[in-house]
Amino acid sequence: MNDEQIRTLVQTVVDGETDAAVKTAEEFVHANGDIDLALKKLTEEMKGVGDRFEQLEIFLPEMMASADAMKAIMKIFLPKLKESTGVDASKGRIVIGTVAGDQHEIGKDIVSVMLEIFGFTVYNIGTDVDPLEFIKRADEVGADGIAMSSLMTTTMAGQREVIEIMKEKGVRDKYFAIVGGAPVTPEWAEEIGADGYSDTAFGAVKLVARLVEERRTK
Amino acid sequence: MATPPYRMWDVVERASTGPFCEQQEFLTKILVPKLKEVIEKYGIKYDSHSPIPTQDSLADRVWEAAVELFRDVGIYNQDTHRRITFSDKEILEALSCTAGEYNVGIGKDSKILQHRGVEDRTPPFVIFSPDIIFDEEDFLTACIAYLKEPLLDGFCAPILEESMGMRIQSGTPIELAGSLEHAMSLREAARLVGRPGVFLVAVGTSQSDASQISVSDPEWGVRTTDSRLIGSITELMTNNSMMNKVVHCQQYGCYVANLTGALYGGYAGGAEGTAVLETAYHLNGLMVYQSHYQMNFPYHLKYFSNTTRELLWVVSVYSQAVARHSKLVNVSNGFANAGPGTEMLFFEAAAHSIASTVSGANLWEIAPARNKNKNRATPLEARLAAEVGHAVARSGMTREEANEVVNKLLGKYEDKIADAPLGKEFKECYDARKGIPTEDYVALYESAKEEIAKIGIDFPY
Repeated sequence: MNDEQIRTLVQTVVDGETDAAVKTAEEFVHANGDIDLALKKLTEEMKGVGDRFEQLEIFLPEMMASADAMKAIMKIFLPKLKESTGVDASKGRIVIGTVAGDQHEIGKDIVSVMLEIFGFTVYNIGTDVDPLEFIKRADEVGADGIAMSSLMTTTMAGQREVIEIMKEKGVRDKYFAIVGGAPVTPEWAEEIGADGYSDTAFGAVKLVARLVEERRTK
Repeated sequence: MATPPYRMWDVVERASTGPFCEQQEFLTKILVPKLKEVIEKYGIKYDSHSPIPTQDSLADRVWEAAVELFRDVGIYNQDTHRRITFSDKEILEALSCTAGEYNVGIGKDSKILQHRGVEDRTPPFVIFSPDIIFDEEDFLTACIAYLKEPLLDGFCAPILEESMGMRIQSGTPIELAGSLEHAMSLREAARLVGRPGVFLVAVGTSQSDASQISVSDPEWGVRTTDSRLIGSITELMTNNSMMNKVVHCQQYGCYVANLTGALYGGYAGGAEGTAVLETAYHLNGLMVYQSHYQMNFPYHLKYFSNTTRELLWVVSVYSQAVARHSKLVNVSNGFANAGPGTEMLFFEAAAHSIASTVSGANLWEIAPARNKNKNRATPLEARLAAEVGHAVARSGMTREEANEVVNKLLGKYEDKIADAPLGKEFKECYDARKGIPTEDYVALYESAKEEIAKIGIDFPY
């Protein structure tokens, strides 16, 4: 029964059927199912969803539907998980936004969804974000890092501005700062003193995972 | 025949009175389901064997799907959180009032930018553009090199990264400085090459509404015979800053293009959704952005290009749909994977030009190296794209013939897309002071052109 429920749960999440996934998750919790095992299977399969999106075997709407279903069942699982283990399953907290003057959404949104799929808690603060706002939100939510997107060469300087203000406020080492977006290059990331750069959403997930891990082991 | 604007203030008001919803709800609950619905309803299916589809019925179904999508979904204003929507009758009225051709530029340099049909023998109007940032010190010489090209009908200059040594940042006075420098230098370059009235699309350095508005000037800046680009936000969204530009351009009296790139792999989904969305953007251009022409760059989420097989299909299909059902003026913007100084870039430029020209588009060529690497663009690859476009039109090439040629071209570069060569920078390919290509680059261009001729393009020279 446990295995069958887990298979159903995984399939409904992968297919992005949120209502069915929630129903199965509630039944699973009610039946005292093994949440650790279910999460292990779900994590494996969601990584597959991320990989298929990376290869464009599926597209953004399908990936977002899977992510929404995953988020919905995590709301059901997390209280039980904390209750039984005392451990917060959250891998890390990331504040993400598009820098001041730039209205582009989609690249930043894709990275947000991918990070959520891989278990990070993401605070997506939108577009045209004032440099100081990135830092204020990171402070409010106790973030591990700040991720900044820019889709225009004329707005890339906003990424540097956030890092400069972090230095001015003495919080440069409190959060990692990473950058991305169509015109952004590794050379630019290095020039402005960012902690990392990625040109793909999946690459951003790997980068964040590494940086969070480094912070945890410091 | 009427020219835009189309009921401008009524449209602007709808941004404050239209149906309310939050942005994510618009994208995931309204746009995406409706897009999936029309793709299924109209039986739209991507065929990898035919990057240039030959069936009129496919183009017709894509058009119907796009009109239904635009009517039911509308355009979302991010600032007011409301949708701007139109009735079928209004869409028909706006389409009926489209002029379909415009005199652009001035004096001896004036040209006609017009609607083209599928397999039209009229050569495409070609706007040359590097589409990328250049070093400030090379801006003028790069503009001169481009403006020397004889097949250039219009020009959009590189984007400035710095102005007077200061890094440009959108929304700041330095952006305004860069915008003024861009406009003034571009005008100077046009005068120096003896094309003072050439049609200019400017200024790419201006992202904010304030900067864009600041360069309207008949002497040193953007004239009423020139054009602005006003971007849509992916997907089917706008905001008040964009609408400020719309209103200003109409009051000033210059030409406007709606700049749109439906994103393959994003909310558009696959090739089918990307083609429907790119078609629907033409109605946004006509009715919300009050545009005289549409500047299209549907592109690939992973590669930032539109010379892949799927994207060439998108380019061809949306162009055929627009060409067959409206008098709207479509300009097709190429985004290549490879950089200058490589044979691959020439093949990609040719493929994009063929797919666009035979399907009823005009040309905007070409952004090399995935449109993200500074100084990596030259006039020579744009020249080749223009020559291919002229040859396709003048020879009366059919879609069947174009499909065969494009398949052969894809055979030359398709397997290299994932690791496309970055190529060289402008100054490595050109004698920048003279604005002419190096001997090596000319030799590469001639060899690639010969290859392209061998597989079916009948160049007059």
